[in-house]
Amino acid sequence: MSIKTQPLSLTINNQHYGPLEVPEGLMMIDFLHEYVALTGCRLGCGQGICHACVAIVDHDSGTSEEVRTCITGAHFFNGKKVRTVEGLAKTDDNGEVQLSPVQQAFLEHYSFQCGYCTPGFVNAATLFVERLAKHPIPLVDLEGAIEKALENHICRCTGYVRYYQAVRDVVLKTPGLIKEPV
Amino acid sequence: MKKRILLGLIVLVILIVAVLWWRENRRLDSPVQKVTADAQQIERGRYLVQASDCAACHTASGGAPLAGGYALETPFGKIFGSNLTPAADDGIGRWTADNFYMALTQGVAPGGRHLYPAMPYTSYKGVTRQDSDDMYAYLMTRPAVNQPVPDNEMPFPFNQRMAMIGWNLLFRTADPMPASSQGNSADWQRGKYLTDVLGHCGECHTPRGRLGQMESSDNLQGGTLGRITAPDITPNALAQRGWTPADLSRFLGTGIAAQGSAFDEMHKVVNLSTRFLTPEDNRALVTYLMGDQPPTAVPVKMGEGNDAGRITYLDQCSGCHAADGAGKPHVAVAMQNNATLRQPDGRNLIISVLDGLPAQEFPDGESMQSMPGFAERLNDQQIAELVNYLRVTFAGLPADITPEKVKALRKH
Amino acid sequence: MFYAGEMADQLKSPPPEWMVMSRRYTTQSVDTSALEPDNANGWYDATTQTLHMVVPTQSPQEVAQEMPVMMAKGHRTVKTLILHPCYTVGYGSKDHYNFPYYGAVAAMYGEGTPVRLANDRFEQFQSSLKRHAFDMNYDIAVNRDTGMLQSFHAAMTADGGGRSNFTPSVVMVGATAAQSIYYFPKSDLSAVGLASRALDAGSARGYGTLQSMAATEMMMDEMAAELKLDPIAFRLRNVLKSGMKNTQGAIPAGAIRADEVLEKAAVHPMWTERQKRKSEYESQYPGKRYGVGFGCVQKDFGTGAETSFARVELSENGQISLWHSGAEMGTGMSTSQSVLCAEWLGKPADEAHFSVTDWSVLPVETSGDPYIMSQEEQDKLQTNPRWSPSYCSPSSASNSAYYFSHSTREAARLIFEHGLWPAALAIWQTGIGGGQAAPYIVRKEDARWVDGGLTANGMQILSLEILAKKAYAMGGLTGAAVHVFNRWQWAEADFTLGNSRQRIPVDGLSVRSGAGEFKTLARDSVFYPPTQRNNASVTYYSAVGTLAEVAVDIATGKVELLNHHSIMECGNLIVPELVSGQLQGGLAMGIGHALHEYLPLYEDGPGDGTWNFNRYHLPRASDVAVWKQTSDILPALSETDPPKGMAEVVMIPVVAALVNAIAHATGHRFRDLPVRAENIREVLQ
Repeated sequence: MSIKTQPLSLTINNQHYGPLEVPEGLMMIDFLHEYVALTGCRLGCGQGICHACVAIVDHDSGTSEEVRTCITGAHFFNGKKVRTVEGLAKTDDNGEVQLSPVQQAFLEHYSFQCGYCTPGFVNAATLFVERLAKHPIPLVDLEGAIEKALENHICRCTGYVRYYQAVRDVVLKTPGLIKEPV
Repeated sequence: MKKRILLGLIVLVILIVAVLWWRENRRLDSPVQKVTADAQQIERGRYLVQASDCAACHTASGGAPLAGGYALETPFGKIFGSNLTPAADDGIGRWTADNFYMALTQGVAPGGRHLYPAMPYTSYKGVTRQDSDDMYAYLMTRPAVNQPVPDNEMPFPFNQRMAMIGWNLLFRTADPMPASSQGNSADWQRGKYLTDVLGHCGECHTPRGRLGQMESSDNLQGGTLGRITAPDITPNALAQRGWTPADLSRFLGTGIAAQGSAFDEMHKVVNLSTRFLTPEDNRALVTYLMGDQPPTAVPVKMGEGNDAGRITYLDQCSGCHAADGAGKPHVAVAMQNNATLRQPDGRNLIISVLDGLPAQEFPDGESMQSMPGFAERLNDQQIAELVNYLRVTFAGLPADITPEKVKALRKH
Repeated sequence: MFYAGEMADQLKSPPPEWMVMSRRYTTQSVDTSALEPDNANGWYDATTQTLHMVVPTQSPQEVAQEMPVMMAKGHRTVKTLILHPCYTVGYGSKDHYNFPYYGAVAAMYGEGTPVRLANDRFEQFQSSLKRHAFDMNYDIAVNRDTGMLQSFHAAMTADGGGRSNFTPSVVMVGATAAQSIYYFPKSDLSAVGLASRALDAGSARGYGTLQSMAATEMMMDEMAAELKLDPIAFRLRNVLKSGMKNTQGAIPAGAIRADEVLEKAAVHPMWTERQKRKSEYESQYPGKRYGVGFGCVQKDFGTGAETSFARVELSENGQISLWHSGAEMGTGMSTSQSVLCAEWLGKPADEAHFSVTDWSVLPVETSGDPYIMSQEEQDKLQTNPRWSPSYCSPSSASNSAYYFSHSTREAARLIFEHGLWPAALAIWQTGIGGGQAAPYIVRKEDARWVDGGLTANGMQILSLEILAKKAYAMGGLTGAAVHVFNRWQWAEADFTLGNSRQRIPVDGLSVRSGAGEFKTLARDSVFYPPTQRNNASVTYYSAVGTLAEVAVDIATGKVELLNHHSIMECGNLIVPELVSGQLQGGLAMGIGHALHEYLPLYEDGPGDGTWNFNRYHLPRASDVAVWKQTSDILPALSETDPPKGMAEVVMIPVVAALVNAIAHATGHRFRDLPVRAENIREVLQ
């Protein structure tokens, strides 16, 4: 029995990969783990429920979305630009790592415990902050908006409080995300 | 002379309209009814209320049971289900058993106020007096909830209830709905009562004319009141989509069978109504739907769909529905033998792919996760290819869905 | 048995002033649902006959010990096992579990290729260790006139599934916890673990106490209602006080502060205004019923045979390194243990290693069962200077804050006392007439770490770097490795350090002077807690009380958790954010246990491999009042209170609080968990 493959080329964290021969129907999470050794996307349920597996796709149209890699085939990402948690921090010329504001906030707020679901939360929160930068919202809507952005992400350790508070903190500290009252 | 007659006529019309308007909108002030009933009657009433699925329209989300406030979207505007608790002014506290029977079976509330057929008196017309009295006894012994229901939001002229006088003249009939299947067994008779009357299945599953009237001659041959079509549930159509009496029975009792899971309005029907039917009534309902001599379920002719659709299926769907379409038991329905895939017009399948489905609870601890909608991720061409792949591979149907058909079904 | 018979008779024919209530409570099987499924990674190198394993585990030393024993029985030789235990998450399901061994077997068939064996979530539901389902029959007698509890008879069974993992221990701990926070003059508590065809049950956060104490807290409310007493006032009347005996006849450690927790709950607006809020809420929302409930428990931490190893080293330029046997499983012990080094060494560890299994630096031997050995046996075995009743504990039983901290702190303390302090004195005493130290009395008890370094009694501040350099130059103690043992009391031993004999609360010690090598010191004598102490069963407690506010939808039966407030006492907090994180997470788990997590035990259950998170409902942020929830942690009595283990107790009172709140809302008392919407719908019909 031979497994049918198709060529796959894509950009992950600004690095080009491919063309690689990848089996049809291989889920993206397996591609990330087995082909390019990026293990930040985690298998929590394998059914698209817990969202520990999400990666970010940046569309040419300018929108970005979180995609569940455990239920989406790798070939869907052909030609696409993908961000995983491994690509969110920056390393400067001196080799110093600079965490993104969301990552830094999660550290300062002690937002995670075992850390398994954390890459998913980081990706979701990152997208949320990016969306707000384009479409600021009134302060009174902030808590509801955070709930909506994160509600699909399951965490078993933390009870969610410190994740949510960290995201609120990032939004309040980043200028331009909250609509000033008229 | 002509002018006088004309003036007289105009005045008469204005008078008639005024009287009718007064009749439709006056406040009821007959005495509050005090109802007592024995436990057995109340229990019968409770069961009948469940079998008639009153809760679907008379219980709002987060609202007290049967206290109204549920918004029903119709092609004629938004109608709010009324308060059926024995509240004196906000509910039916002043109604007698006669009033209740009249409203239920004729669509006329006490004082001559006409109900819209959103309240399906067009099906309930067959409710027996005893059953009506039992339901009345149950409802009148529930706690009263003194909460008014919002006013309907309907444009003129639909917001004029007196128009129902004309509508009823045209379309209301005491004749029972013509049978959708053949039979005469005791189960079949009971099943007809459960289906055509109490269950009022035809209200969704029967096609309607331009003024919203059910085309009774086509009883249960499918209707599209909302976005999702309620499919043809006459015996041959059911068999054509692979239904057997056993599977149908299971479906009505639990919402899940080999042919798929209940969704959209039908999920509500199962959840609030058919799951509570006794095994005997469940069997009777199925006997009516499939007839005393149920046709044999037509096996699926599996095929090989187009390659582009196949790849889309692998990338977008197989994660939950499995690469071979076998689904995952208790988690995701199978594509194989799925009755929605086997609906000839493909409408419900296309809409499911576009809109997705919400997470839903089912009886016996079953619980389905949400299905994502693909309206943004896939374009019309891709969805057409995917749907054609599904139809050919798993449903034995032709690949005749066009991108235009998909486009027409997108939400705007 | 004589007293048991007497008590049983008295409950059957109670004196007239007694009210006897009998109730049965059941709890469900539960899946811990650690998001990381069980997995193991291995590679067998046939050329060197070495097996390399990378495994997540809460009990690394258990794997290090048992895996070679198993591999020795295989027909392929394994000469060396190189084990890398990783940080993980488990809530008990990765403690003494089977997966590392399956992984080892799989690796042996890899034909030179590394093998990863991992459960998907369906398989995880199918095979991971479950929580024991309990079935409890409680008979409690209370004096009607005084409201004082008189007698408690409990007979419990727990379903241990097919293979025994921690069942005997879980049922025992469950029995000891049934008393919750109350004093019972008489009690007869029994618990039996049963084998069944259910999935294997093991250690799960709460360990039997979640099941038994939550039931007691539900029953307390029901008794209070019968006696027409306020539920919190009734609790206060009966709360255990400092110095009183628990149901095993042992006196718990230190002050019992459950009464303070109760008093705070009694005056909280959620409690005092509950009737008023109920009428207001229900008139505003006729479709809902409002209720407030309360629960308060104290749970033990530790197991009665708590052991760990810690090794602290100070480098010549003042870098602190820590090696600890404890496993990080998301509790943040890697942070708290590192932070603890600051107590005696002025700053947190610069580098820390956990799940350490190589303790060749301090050889310790063990034999016998610490729980059941006789005093004679222990007396004989302890004459071996390397012997300890137990080798090393897994991460479980909320044991890092108090127990793991003990070894870390003792190791650091030794470096201070025998390395840094002499170095400091030497520097302060340098110069004519005894230096700057001479005019003042300079005492070790007055030493303080301040900004910049160490001072005492007004001495010049010395940085750690300077002290380390001096300690090295003097050949003072620069490294200590300790082994500790606790049987509800710490083992102590006499060691000769320098030229003085010292009694230290450790039972194994290796030290390093200056830049030398570690040397194991033979203990001059050792004092193990008497084996009789096992009967205490528990002596260390932390207390938590939780108020829960709910709205029940009458049409659907759904419970909306509007808000909750918890009051906790757990001594001094090493890192407050870690404590609050455990509280928040524990509350969520308790909410899931009470309202959402339904899991059938047998053929309908997850053994058929079809269960995932669509059917097993883990609590979401919308289920835990994520923005509104509040908490109040009682300040420690003083800065010398030890930090107490609390990661389990936090999930328990909320379970009873929710069931009691539903009773206040609907008038119905549920006794079987979980209480789901359909259960509530049924009784509301």
